[in-house]
Amino acid sequence: MELIGLLNYALFMAIFIGIYALLSLGLNIQWGGAGLFNAGIAGFFAVGAYTSAILTSPAADGRLGGYEMPFYVGWAGAMLAAALIAWPIGKICLRFRSDYLAIATIGIAEIIRLVIKSEEALTNSARGISSIERPFGDLPYVSSQAAFLGIVLFLVIAAYFLVQRQFNAPWGRMMRAIRDNELAARAMGKNIEYRRLEAFIFGSALMGLSGAVFAAFNRSITPEAIDPMVATFLVWIMLILGGSGNNKGAILGAVIVWVIWSVSEIATDQLPHEYAVKAKYVRLFLIGLMLQLVLRFRPEGLLPERTTGVTRPEDEKSQ
Amino acid sequence: MKTKFIALAGGLLAATALASVPAKADVKIGLLGGVSGAISAMAPSMLEASNLAIKQVNEQGGILDGETLEGVIGDSACNPQGGTDAATKAVNIEGVSVLVGPHCSGAVLAASGSVSIPAGITMITPSGTSPEITGLEDNDTVFRTVSSDDYQGRALARTLKDAGYEKVAVAYVNNDYGSGLANAFKAEFETLGGEIAGFAAHEADKASYRSNLAELADGGADTLVLFDYGDGTGLTILRQALENGFFEKFVGADGMKSEALIEELGPENLTNFVTSAPVGEKSDALDAFNKAFQADGGDPDAIFVTTSYDAAFLAALAIEKAGGDKAGIAAALREVSNGEGETILPGEWAKAKKLIAAGTAIDYKGAAGDQNFDAAGDVPGIYALFKVNGDQFETMTEMK
Repeated sequence: MELIGLLNYALFMAIFIGIYALLSLGLNIQWGGAGLFNAGIAGFFAVGAYTSAILTSPAADGRLGGYEMPFYVGWAGAMLAAALIAWPIGKICLRFRSDYLAIATIGIAEIIRLVIKSEEALTNSARGISSIERPFGDLPYVSSQAAFLGIVLFLVIAAYFLVQRQFNAPWGRMMRAIRDNELAARAMGKNIEYRRLEAFIFGSALMGLSGAVFAAFNRSITPEAIDPMVATFLVWIMLILGGSGNNKGAILGAVIVWVIWSVSEIATDQLPHEYAVKAKYVRLFLIGLMLQLVLRFRPEGLLPERTTGVTRPEDEKSQ
Repeated sequence: MKTKFIALAGGLLAATALASVPAKADVKIGLLGGVSGAISAMAPSMLEASNLAIKQVNEQGGILDGETLEGVIGDSACNPQGGTDAATKAVNIEGVSVLVGPHCSGAVLAASGSVSIPAGITMITPSGTSPEITGLEDNDTVFRTVSSDDYQGRALARTLKDAGYEKVAVAYVNNDYGSGLANAFKAEFETLGGEIAGFAAHEADKASYRSNLAELADGGADTLVLFDYGDGTGLTILRQALENGFFEKFVGADGMKSEALIEELGPENLTNFVTSAPVGEKSDALDAFNKAFQADGGDPDAIFVTTSYDAAFLAALAIEKAGGDKAGIAAALREVSNGEGETILPGEWAKAKKLIAAGTAIDYKGAAGDQNFDAAGDVPGIYALFKVNGDQFETMTEMK
C-alpha cells in the first residue's frame, strides 16, 4: 500500500461523499425543511444524470445526443430538467399527506426508471450512455481526481451555504411552521401548496445536479446506477443518521455512511478467503444496524436540528 | 450518548487501521464480483473458478520469482457505485496488477471510465456482455473473455436467414441482455433482407403477456424470436403463445435453453422451437478445466465459470510475460493469446512459465474458447442452434 494509492482512494471517497452530500442536502430541503417524504430520489438523480449525459456526450447512432456541450452547461441543464420534472409531479402529489406522498414518489421514480430503461431513442435504453465528458478527465490519474474533487467541493460548499442561508431566512422559518403545524401556518395566510412546491423543486434540482456529477465522474450512466437501494434508501439513511433539518448533519451523514460502507470492506478482506466473501454481506447489515441504533437511541440524528428561539422550561419537562 | 458514538466510530477506524497492515509483497489480481446485488446467485461459483486458476499457479511454482499470486475479492454489487468503489480499493489500496471483473456491464463501464483506464490497469471482464464495452476509448486496456451480446444476436440472425426464416416478430426482456441481443438481431436480420414484423420489449415477471403477444402477432409473422430466460418470464410467454396459437414457430437465445422449458411444456409441444446457445466447443481445454474444477468441488456447468477461469489464468500469464510490469500487461495479454505459438491448456502453468522464461511464443486455448482478442479486446463466441429431442436439447447446426 503506497502513499499515492492511499491518496487516490481518499480522493475517490471524498468525491463520492460529495455526490451523496448533494443528494442528502437536496433531501434535507424537502424532508428536513418542509416535511415532504420523497421516496423517489433515484428518479430525480436519474433525470439529472441522463440530461447531462445527453447534452455533453458525443453523437451515437440511434439515440438523441451529440451536442457535446461543455460540462457546466450539461450540469446546469441537469438541474433545470430535474426541476422541470419535479414541477408537475409536485403540483399533483404534494396534495397527499406525508405517507401517501412517499408511495406516490416511489411510483414516480419507478416510472422514470422504466422510461429510461425502455426509450431507446432517448437514453439508449438498458445499455446506457458512455463516453460522457469528464472535466479534467485528460489529466493523469491523481491530478484528474484532485481537480474533479475541487469542483465537487465547490458545489457542495456552495449548496451548503445557499441552503443554510435559506433555512435561516424567514423562508426557512415559514417552512418549519408549515412542516410542524400546517393548519396554524394556513391560518397565518401562508400559501402552503405553493411553498411546498418550492421546496420540492429546489431539492429535486440539487438531486439532479448530483446525478450529473455522478455520470461525469464515471464517464457513463446505465440504469443499474438508479437502483432504489443505492440512490434512494442509502440517502435516507444518511440524512436520518446525520440529523434531518440540519445541513451539517446531512453532510456528516453522507461522510459516515459512505466511509463505513467503503472502508469496512478493507477490514473484511483481511479475513481468510472462505469468510471474506460471506463478510461482504455484513456490510449491508452494518448499515441497517447503524440506522436501528440511531433511531433507537438518537432519533433526532447525530447533529439534531437547531431550533432558534426561546424554549420554556415547562416545554422540556413535558417532552 | 455522543461519546458512545465517537467511541464506536473510533473503534471501527482503529480496527480498520490494524487490519490493513500490508502483507508480503505478493503479486495480486483483483477479483471484482457482484457478490451482493442482482447476480449474487451466480457470483460465488464464478469467483471459485477464478480462484482455481490462482491456486493452480501457486501449486505449480508461483508467479515471477516464485512469488505467490493472490486474488483480492471486491464486491462490485452489480452497480456502478459498488463497481467503482471496489475497483478503486483494489487498484490503490491493494495494488493489484490486473482486474478480473466486474461482472455486470454497468459496473464495467463505470469502473473502467473512472478507475482502471486513468490508472492504466488492465481489466478483463468474464461476464460484461454489453456492446457498449466494445467502443470504449480504453488505450487497449479493457478486455473480455465472454463475447458481446451483439455477436450472438448477429450470428442468430444469419443462421435463421440461412434456414429459411423470412418474417419474424421479436420479443425481448427489458434489460441489457435482452435489448443487446434484440437490437443486434434486428440490425443483422434486416440487413440480410429479412422482415421484422413486430419488435417489443416486455417487463419481467408479469402474470399475463397475452396482450403483448397479440400485438406482436398482428404483424403477420408466424415466428416469434424470444430473448428471455427459460426458467422465468420466457416460460410464461412461450406457454401463453402456445395455448393461444399466436405463433407457429419459436426461436430463443442462450437464456431460453433451459431444462425447465421441456419439463413444463413437454417435448411434444416444442417441436417447432429452436434456440441458440454458446457451446464450450468440445475441446481438450474444456475437458482439462472441467476435471480440475470438479476436483476442486465446483460445478463446471454453472454459468460464466469457464470465462471467469480463463480471465484469471490469462491475467496470470500476462503478468508473467510482462515480468510484473503493470504498464506492459495489456500488450503481454495480447501476446499470450493471439493464435500463434505453443499451445497452453487450462492448468498448464508450469509449462507456460518455462516457455515464457525461454522466450518462446505461447498461445492460451481457454476453457470457453480460443480467447484470441480482436482489436477492441473482444472475443468471438462459439454458438450452435439447438432443438428439442426427447427430453433434452440436441445440437442442430453450428452458427457462423
